[in-house]
Amino acid sequence: MKLKEVDRTAMQAWSPAQNHPIYLATGTSAQQLDATFSTSASLEIFELDLSDPSLDMKSCATFSSSHRYHKLIWGPHKMDPKGNVSGVLIAGGENGNIILYDPSKIIAGDKEVVIAQNDKHTGPVRALDVNIFQTNLVASGANESEIYIWDLNNFATPMTPGAKTQPPEDISCIAWNRQVQHILASASPSGRATVWDLRKNEPIIKVSDHSNRMHCSGLAWHPDVATQMVLASEDDRLPVVQMWDLRFASSPLRVLENHARGILAIAWSMADPELLLSCGKDAKILCSNPNTGEVLYELPTNTQWCFDIQWCPRNPAVLSAASFDGRISVYSIMGGSADGLRQKQVDKLSSSFGNLDPFGTGQPLPPLQIPQQTAQHNIVLPLKKPPKWIRRPVGASFSFGGKLVTFENVKTQAQQGAEQQQQQHVFISQVVTEKEFLSRSDQLQQVVQSQGFVSYCQKKIDASQTEFEKNVWSFLKVNFEDDSRGKYLELLGYRKEDLGKKIALALNKVDGPDVCIKEGKQESEFLPSAGGTFNISISGDIDGLITQALLTGNFESAVDLCLHDNRMADAIILAIAGGQELLAQTQKKYFAKSQSKITRLITAVVMKNWKEIVESCDLKNWREALAAVLTYAKPDEFSALCDLLGTRLESEGDSLLQTQACLCYICAGNVEKLVACWTKAQDGSNPLSLQDLIEKVVILRKAVQLTQAMDTNTVGVLLAEKMSQYANLLAAQGSIAAALAFLPENTNQPNIVQLRDRLCRAQGQPVPGQESPKIPYERQQLPKGRPGPMAGHTQMPRVPAQQYYPHGENPPPPGFIMHGNVNPNAATAQLPTSPGHMHTQVPPYPQPQPYQPAQQYSFGTGGSTMYRPQQPVAPSASNAYPNTPYISPASSYSGQSQLYASQLQASPPTSSSAASFPPPPSSGASFQHGGPGAPPSSSAYALPPGTTGTLPAASELPASQRTENQSMQDQAPKLEGPQNGWNDPPALNRVPKKKKMPENFMPPVPITSPIMNPLGDPQSQMLPQQPSAPVPLSSQASFPQPHLAGGQTFHGIQQPLGQLGMPPSFSKPNIEGAPGAPIGNTIQHVQSLPTEKITKKPIPDEHLILKTTFEDLIQRCLSSATDPQTKRKLDDASKRLEFLYDKLREQTLSPTIINGLHNIARSIESRNYSEGLTIHTHIVSTSNFSETSAFMPVLKVVLTQANKLGV
Amino acid sequence: MVSVINTVDTSHEDMIHDAQMDYYGTRLATCSSDRSVKIFDVRNGGQILIADLRGHEGPVWQVAWAHPMYGNILASCSYDRKVIIWKEENGTWEKTHEHTGHDSSVNSVCWAPHDYGLILACGSSDGAISLLTYTGEGQWEVKKISNAHAIGCNAVSWAPAVVPGSLIDQPSGQKPNYIKKFASGGCDNLIKLWKEEEDGQWKEEQKLEAHSDWVRDVAWAPSIGLPTSTIASCSQDGRVFIWTCDDTSGNTWSPKLLHKFSDVVWHVSWSITANILAVSGGDNKVTLWKESVDGQWVCISDVNKGQGSVSASITEGQQNEQ
Repeated sequence: MKLKEVDRTAMQAWSPAQNHPIYLATGTSAQQLDATFSTSASLEIFELDLSDPSLDMKSCATFSSSHRYHKLIWGPHKMDPKGNVSGVLIAGGENGNIILYDPSKIIAGDKEVVIAQNDKHTGPVRALDVNIFQTNLVASGANESEIYIWDLNNFATPMTPGAKTQPPEDISCIAWNRQVQHILASASPSGRATVWDLRKNEPIIKVSDHSNRMHCSGLAWHPDVATQMVLASEDDRLPVVQMWDLRFASSPLRVLENHARGILAIAWSMADPELLLSCGKDAKILCSNPNTGEVLYELPTNTQWCFDIQWCPRNPAVLSAASFDGRISVYSIMGGSADGLRQKQVDKLSSSFGNLDPFGTGQPLPPLQIPQQTAQHNIVLPLKKPPKWIRRPVGASFSFGGKLVTFENVKTQAQQGAEQQQQQHVFISQVVTEKEFLSRSDQLQQVVQSQGFVSYCQKKIDASQTEFEKNVWSFLKVNFEDDSRGKYLELLGYRKEDLGKKIALALNKVDGPDVCIKEGKQESEFLPSAGGTFNISISGDIDGLITQALLTGNFESAVDLCLHDNRMADAIILAIAGGQELLAQTQKKYFAKSQSKITRLITAVVMKNWKEIVESCDLKNWREALAAVLTYAKPDEFSALCDLLGTRLESEGDSLLQTQACLCYICAGNVEKLVACWTKAQDGSNPLSLQDLIEKVVILRKAVQLTQAMDTNTVGVLLAEKMSQYANLLAAQGSIAAALAFLPENTNQPNIVQLRDRLCRAQGQPVPGQESPKIPYERQQLPKGRPGPMAGHTQMPRVPAQQYYPHGENPPPPGFIMHGNVNPNAATAQLPTSPGHMHTQVPPYPQPQPYQPAQQYSFGTGGSTMYRPQQPVAPSASNAYPNTPYISPASSYSGQSQLYASQLQASPPTSSSAASFPPPPSSGASFQHGGPGAPPSSSAYALPPGTTGTLPAASELPASQRTENQSMQDQAPKLEGPQNGWNDPPALNRVPKKKKMPENFMPPVPITSPIMNPLGDPQSQMLPQQPSAPVPLSSQASFPQPHLAGGQTFHGIQQPLGQLGMPPSFSKPNIEGAPGAPIGNTIQHVQSLPTEKITKKPIPDEHLILKTTFEDLIQRCLSSATDPQTKRKLDDASKRLEFLYDKLREQTLSPTIINGLHNIARSIESRNYSEGLTIHTHIVSTSNFSETSAFMPVLKVVLTQANKLGV
Repeated sequence: MVSVINTVDTSHEDMIHDAQMDYYGTRLATCSSDRSVKIFDVRNGGQILIADLRGHEGPVWQVAWAHPMYGNILASCSYDRKVIIWKEENGTWEKTHEHTGHDSSVNSVCWAPHDYGLILACGSSDGAISLLTYTGEGQWEVKKISNAHAIGCNAVSWAPAVVPGSLIDQPSGQKPNYIKKFASGGCDNLIKLWKEEEDGQWKEEQKLEAHSDWVRDVAWAPSIGLPTSTIASCSQDGRVFIWTCDDTSGNTWSPKLLHKFSDVVWHVSWSITANILAVSGGDNKVTLWKESVDGQWVCISDVNKGQGSVSASITEGQQNEQ
């Protein structure tokens, strides 16, 4: 796609890659006279501004020059790293002159822009190149075989690369090698290219095809391969690009014959060595892959020849081409629409022809419309092959649960043997950044589980760094102790014993009132017994009136009289006698009269009106108020009062008091308010401060549950937000189970419901959909049409594959067995009984797909494997088969209870079709895999007796499952080896696998070209090898990987088989597991495998050392390996080495291999595993493949592991 | 700690270009130069190939999972100029839509926040960005922003769904009036921010200039309820910038240089909690970065083959106690 154009007949040079922005320098070409036959010349600099959509290039500067140019290059010499305009423009002139310009000065409009000039050359200087390693070195070529090497730091005296070639000829091209800095090549129209070694100061090789038709117009070194270069020919009789390798310089390695007429210029992309531009007299600009000869792209050009073509060094998709019609065009090879790009031409024509739209219709008149329309249909396609620079080689993306998914494409290194075929691995990693947070969260969880709240709080108290923190924890702790109120009081500074002492002290000071009381008591005891008479006065004074009132039983009046007379004590005593009502009235009257400081307190105590205290007390006395409440308040009003006090503190108090409100809320057990209060005071965004809060909240909620028997399930908005924030944090650290544990239950807040759903599924559990009535999301569907008979339930999901994942590595709890549930509700209902285990539904998977996924289960348990049977399974087959997922109309919600919710096309169960088949011995779907850490011994999985009872009878199985079983049996005989189901014994797999090996194995590439055989040329040793050449060694060595992985597959299969949830009776029948036989038989077969007795010859004594060494090494590795995957690998290796031992027994190995093995054994003895690996590679590369393939890869695995583990 | 919990052997026959987990982190989608897209079930450290999707005729550059509320949907984009939307139907994955509206390699696909419906943004080397909106009945409406980036758009990334004005506002029945925005990066060295106008047209809202070479990737940070918007960008020039915007109008963005790497930086990815940035460089290096208390970005981990340690010093923030 054309991006820009400039109307100049000029040579062009892009600014160096470091330069930003991108400039294009143009110097009037010496070869062409323009239409005016003007002899003026100029040097111009344009800026490539791609954000400007027009075709115009922004001119930055013009310098009128007295020279015209044959060649223009822009070197990065002396550029500052910032990329400011700098470097040197080097121009080759007509009369043997080389001129150095300062581009920054040109742009600045400076008059003095020439840095230096030298006219040592004879004739026009057509060839110039800057050394990319030493940018101060410039090579130039002119007539008379003249080649000079210029040092820009010392421009006056050039060097020569050696004696001039004879006969004298013009130098048309010159190029520095891209890999070796002292190698230079020159070429001339006569067709000869000469390679110079500047250290030797002489030509080292001449390249020519002796056709006499190569007229070199272009020369370029391979960007990556030091010994390769291309030459382009201008001759119409031989319009080719030749690719040469100097190591085989007798004839070209490849000839690209894509042009119809002579080639005028070439350019090899530095960004992608598979892109070579060439332009010729056939008016084409082609981009081809010089390594294959394929044309990748033809630039849409006009009919003019291009004489100069250049890649933009900075923007690898951009190139410029100078054509003889006086235009320099800038193109992108990434294709794109040509919309609007022709506009410039049209505009130009319009302006030349004047207004062709006299009627103002907005449309140009027909003559202009025609070319425009044809042009617009011309969508320019991009390169056939994506250029290297858009192929992203690396990536790391976060996903839910703090997981990081990374991949990197490591360059293949051919010489490193077996495991070095390119492995396309993706790593899923757990990123944990908040360790303290996690460990604290962990502790908290443990506490919740173990109910050890008191000691937890005590620990927290001890660890508290601030008084406040200590207080809070003390308050929390009290919740879990007896007599919590009393302890609260103590915390507030009111210890009962202390108080008692204080009172005693106080009373003693007032002359032993203690004694008085005692005496008084004695007196009162005396009085009745004395039985003495007393005088009842009925005089008219107050006493008399009281007496009269009393005598008449008028307590009320009597009390009034007493009060009036300020005889408070009498009044109260009388009131007590007068009954409850009177007492209350009297108390009121008393308080109304009394004015002492503590009256209000007493009032509150007596009247039980704590609300007033709490509402009106001075906030400075909040402690006292709280203490009073703690002492007196009734349980039903207690928390409300604490609450009230807290609220007051929070709303009216200063910042210090505000935080104290937390204590009130703790007493109140008001979690929501505690959260609010805490959040106000703390920075909640920090994980640890959030942890601080959550610790308190969790403990408090537990306390409330214990002490106040309140419904703690109701979760306020704020708390829910904090808890979900907390759960999010935990999840982000990978603690998904913990996150789930802390997520509040029974809340309908959408964010929590969504998070719960996400966590559950992330954990691989079905969401307990039945428990929470809310669906996290309103499911929306991409309707694929097909509203089935159950249109209302089209959202009913189903499970595509059976997935019984033991969770973690716990063995299943006794009695736990898979259920062939018909009803998903039942499945979810079962969940709590077996926490940690995930059930999914029986697969309603149509045949024959179950084989594939089922087999891959074993992959999952067997660690990473390469080998995967690629049986083409037509997806359409699923439709053809009467596949019937169980259907439960009631479970329309079950979107949550399923792993993979997907749209289901409902169809009735085909129970009839299934009924005709005998009940399968075990549901094909019901088996359980061992966790990665499960012991390999199959006996360990023997289920407790009793469990068989839970095996669903066949009739209880969903029809689909039975169908599937049937289909498996049907299908099995047709399949062979690796295509067989998961339940086939490894023994059956093994044979076909062996057969398959050669198919996977890529035979060594036949040597098709002399390049494969290094000639021992000294130069080829000096120069790096061509990396892309497939070396037989590598292809051979690369094979064993799948083979090895296949071995792991067996292993993987064995494990799940060993632990099938089978009633013992099914294991009995002793039938050699024919394909399609009931599963129970095959199991028996598998179990009998290890006990298979084969009489073997002993290993010859002299080789026994091999066995002991290798086995010892594996044992050592096993004991220091930590991850189960490695252990499995090693286990497997140990088994597979039997192949080797067998060969030793049979004495079929060739002496070289035996020798090599002994060498390896010795290097193992000396713990020099890398040496062992080297020997290994040597053996593999020199021996017969079939002889060693069975055990050498395994040996390599062992050595590599040993090396890694450093045992 | 960065520790490998699962090594998935994809069996791709050529370079892998993208690997993305679904919403739950249980499935992995990968794509490669071998023209295939693969989906693996990776729960519990396993790797079960669920689907091997063939349909592209060139290298597949990126994959993107749609939110599960729409079902199991995956979008992929390729050098073959196509965007394919795949969907799981009855346990099988199949092509549900193919978008052929681009004239050159489609380099990036990104689903809009689920609140907006099913909308996919696609950035192409033809310089255009197209927006596919699912309108029901298997129909997709296409809007195209032509000439979004001269000679190519390399990346698109949606802004999180935020209702203007209120931050933690629970939607009260009525559909909130979201302002849809996304960021794009391209070969014109620019990051552009696009906003949907009221008439449904997309308009360039901002141009963010700081890079001196192709912008390889942009990533809008997930919203964590703060008023600040954050975008990470990386470039061919080796620089990674963190752009932040505090004002509500969203017009003032200021860049902060995270780091200048010695090689091209291909990819940036935010953690779900938006506090860690994973940077993938051309030297096959992956580094994790975190903002320290004083606002500086610090490298906390070098990840090599999925393994790495985490420097603890700055990760544990200062506890703010009374």
